[in-house]
Amino acid sequence: MAEVPGAPTPGTCPVAVGERVGVRFRWRAPAARRCLLGYALLAPAVLYVGALVGVPFLFSLYLAMSDATVGDPVAGFVGLENFRAALESTTFHVALRNTVVFTVGAGVLKGLLGTTLAFLLVQPFVGRRVVRALVVIPFTLPIAISVLGWKWMFDSQFSVLNWALSRVGLIGGYGSPDWPVWLGQPSLALASVMFVNVWRGFPFTAIVLMAGLTSVPTEIIDSARVDGASFLQRFRKIIVPMIAPILFIGAAFDTVFTLSDLSIVYLLTNGGPDGATEILPTLAYNTGIRAGALGRGAAISLFLFPLLLPAMVLLLRTLRRRQY
Amino acid sequence: MSDAQTVRTDLAIGRRGFLKATGAGIAGGGLLTAVGARRAPAQLKGTSLRMLMWSHFVPAYDAWLDDFARKWGEKNGVRVRVDHIPHLELPARWAAEFAAGAGHDLIQFAGQIFTGQYYRHLVDLSDLAAALEKKYGKWMENARSAAQVRGVWYGIPDFYIAIPVLWRKDLFDSVGVGEPKTWEDLRKAGRLLKARGHPTGMQFSHCNDANHNWRALLYCFGAKETDPSGENIALDSRETREALRFAKALFDEGMTPEVFSWDDASDNRFLASGVGCWIHDAISAFRTTQDTNPRVFKDTYCVPEVAGPGGQKWNVGEPNVWAIWKFGKNPQAARDFIAALVDHQKEAMEASRGYNMPFLRDHYRKPMPGLGNDPKLAVLQEQDRITAFFGYPGLMSPPAQEVLTTFVIPDMFTRVARGAAIEDVMKWGLGEIRRIYAKHRAA
Repeated sequence: MAEVPGAPTPGTCPVAVGERVGVRFRWRAPAARRCLLGYALLAPAVLYVGALVGVPFLFSLYLAMSDATVGDPVAGFVGLENFRAALESTTFHVALRNTVVFTVGAGVLKGLLGTTLAFLLVQPFVGRRVVRALVVIPFTLPIAISVLGWKWMFDSQFSVLNWALSRVGLIGGYGSPDWPVWLGQPSLALASVMFVNVWRGFPFTAIVLMAGLTSVPTEIIDSARVDGASFLQRFRKIIVPMIAPILFIGAAFDTVFTLSDLSIVYLLTNGGPDGATEILPTLAYNTGIRAGALGRGAAISLFLFPLLLPAMVLLLRTLRRRQY
Repeated sequence: MSDAQTVRTDLAIGRRGFLKATGAGIAGGGLLTAVGARRAPAQLKGTSLRMLMWSHFVPAYDAWLDDFARKWGEKNGVRVRVDHIPHLELPARWAAEFAAGAGHDLIQFAGQIFTGQYYRHLVDLSDLAAALEKKYGKWMENARSAAQVRGVWYGIPDFYIAIPVLWRKDLFDSVGVGEPKTWEDLRKAGRLLKARGHPTGMQFSHCNDANHNWRALLYCFGAKETDPSGENIALDSRETREALRFAKALFDEGMTPEVFSWDDASDNRFLASGVGCWIHDAISAFRTTQDTNPRVFKDTYCVPEVAGPGGQKWNVGEPNVWAIWKFGKNPQAARDFIAALVDHQKEAMEASRGYNMPFLRDHYRKPMPGLGNDPKLAVLQEQDRITAFFGYPGLMSPPAQEVLTTFVIPDMFTRVARGAAIEDVMKWGLGEIRRIYAKHRAA
């Protein structure tokens, strides 16, 4: 790319601060004006992110290091006491473990199912548009409605899933020992809430992947096919590297969405039975809002931040390296 | 300010003059107060009142209340708006309103009692509480726990929800167990009837009913959450261990694992389906069965509560309390509305089909609306004598509220039912509760 004479190098402005002579002149220079315009155009986005992300985050940090309660806005500084208190609680340990299992398990399943679905949906077949529209329904439905639907399907007495399984002879009737209590048995309950998260989220993964797959030139795939590359080789050596930026962004979004997913667990089990499905968002909500201990609730909700931050920085840096 | 006028500043006054002036002042003040009181509706005219409350489990009650509020508003020239939201969403809404310093004029603490958290920012309603007590008899002793902080009324108790035993007479008769009087009777019925395909059930899960039901069992066994001051934990007792042991037997002999997944409505369906032999639930389950399964309803009866081994009977109710933000724009209208609602308690109770149990003694005059004329529910007309609330015999304080919302007590029962050793469960539960109380004490 040819350099424009007088244009500033990226990240700098052509203003020599301290040069008293000609300062006014330089600010009026076309290059300086462009630079100012750039900052002016960027300012709303910076303000927006600062106001909607930065301020709440800093406020959460303040709360987490204070003894604030819902009714006492004048909080005292307690340092890391709330984090220490959380670590002392066995309920917190269970919630932390469940959060990791929930996020990783659901993430892997969404990745597998989303990839499969994306490959299916890029193939030409009759009614593809209709099918594409239908598969995104779980993602577009209001979460409260879809989760209440699942609550009925997981009902201990009137579950349609159990009824179907019973009718085909895979399980006994209601009241028999092999009648699954989806939201009552600890391992099944955690699997059930993960399943609903996967059901709701994997169309999003598929859409992200489809967007990536359609951007891969068919000539490259065809050449690889002619050269004898198998499907897995083509996927691993060509498709994945080419759509890696999209994959990274999709994975980052999905991790954040899953980690902060309060609604599914809250509506299905509220963390029960006996903490089997307790995750950090439900514990933080019940402690901070429903019990009024804002400081401790904020500390619980911020607990994964030190783990997530390096992961996100690493992800974004990898992404940046791949782009250049 | 004008300085043209000369103001006489002769303050010399005799004894007679002082008495005259004072007497006139007191009389004038009294008159002005009386006039002011009469004029109150005129002062309200043209104002607006916004109130925030839960979506009642009996939709007909919400319809009645909305209509009552509309008519009250028309009569007093006040624009009234009633916002109903699910009760579990209320705490987030109160927190948001408090943080913003703006919102509804009148709020309702439904089940989750935040009087202790917000009292510094709530209007002192002691005079209204006293006036209502004078008019309608004494407040139930436990009402103070929900609405008072250090002797000052920061809320006015509206109603509580009783959670009695609902049982199937035909099934109990079939195994030779009559009307249940004790927890032991319920255990026996559960054991005998489970074998015939009619188990019983109480929630071992994270829901409101689990919190109330297991507390009722605890209190009936003589266990206490704290001492009466609400400051010191009193759960570490032989009675608590006995209650846990009994719950394990109750589960093993009379229940199926589905109780681990139940929410607040599951037991309603369980009873209405004809499967359950008894449940421990609000009379909404009774009404649901009445509306959906008349055959089962015919044999469904109600017992206010059953006794523990020492003969103690404590039913754990769910309280609802009105409160007024100090930053509310129309506290006078809010107070007047509460007073008007208490004046119409009979209609309110009728509209709720006997669900809204009153806190004032005179409202227990028989026959009580919605209950007195129902031969099966008439037994609930003395429920005030056996009703306790969470934290008993202590207060519904902020730490007690945290123990409630983090489901420590139901989780203790769940662990025992699943086979954990009682001492291990006690160690875990007491550890969690002590940690919560210690944090609140430190704050």
